[in-house]
Amino acid sequence: MISCTEFIPAYSELFKYLEKKRGKTAVVDFWNYLSDIYLTNLKDFIAENGIRGCWIYWSTTLEEEAADFSMELDEEAGEFYITMHRCPSKGRLLEYKHILPYPDYCEHCDMLYRRVLEPLGYTYDLDRSQTDQARCRLSIKVIKN
Amino acid sequence: MPKQTMTRKSSDNPYLHKDFHILLNHGIDYLHKNIGEEAVREYLTQFASAYYSPFKRDIKNKGLLAIKEHYERIYEIEGALFDINFSQDELIIHLQASPAVMHIKAKGHPVSELYRETVATVIKTICQDTTYDSEMLEYHEDNGAYRIRFFRRKK
Repeated sequence: MISCTEFIPAYSELFKYLEKKRGKTAVVDFWNYLSDIYLTNLKDFIAENGIRGCWIYWSTTLEEEAADFSMELDEEAGEFYITMHRCPSKGRLLEYKHILPYPDYCEHCDMLYRRVLEPLGYTYDLDRSQTDQARCRLSIKVIKN
Repeated sequence: MPKQTMTRKSSDNPYLHKDFHILLNHGIDYLHKNIGEEAVREYLTQFASAYYSPFKRDIKNKGLLAIKEHYERIYEIEGALFDINFSQDELIIHLQASPAVMHIKAKGHPVSELYRETVATVIKTICQDTTYDSEMLEYHEDNGAYRIRFFRRKK
């Protein structure tokens, strides 16, 4: 059995495998597939709770992933932010001495969640400028008419 | 409604996100259905060769004890029920139910037809280039239970 604590390197190696086998398009196709088949709970939380659904979803997943983060919800303004001080996934990949992360590893976070949120009427902005230090900032906002 | 904030440090929580089992399962299923059965084994071999390279070094140094310690550690993290028979030349591990398979099913996701390869291919790969070999004695699709055997290769 592969433990869930060993998943992140398995994920990164899967992206590498797909790219080597079929090119970057295959990696993106896989991310789209995962978004559609796996993130149904995020979609349901948002459909039921509006932008608070983001808070409900990420407060569980980030605690289970033992992330080092700050999260902010302003329902009146329709805004939700995550400041990732140390991403548990990218952080782990950077710590390993014997394997290199997939070069575009952090792009999956941008693709998977954007695909759920934008059709529901939210902007999705992920600042990936510091992912080489396992840091990023996510901003989700309600699109106001 | 006032603003709500939450701040956590990594040391505030244990690292145990069982939904990662679901993602790996989808990855296996995707490879199987889009590239083929052999791609699943090829990918798992690539992953296990790369990620478990320090573990393979341990096997070369400590023998079956390294394998025993590895599985004890991950089963304890996952809260699995298991038993182990260990001797100098043979190690038999019996996992009574796979926490991975049970979690995938509990969350309503179908388990990939080739999910067993996360056991079968991995145990073969970690033994490659060592003096040990492995075999899967039993695998139960319904709960992912298995019995695997590691043993010294015949010269």
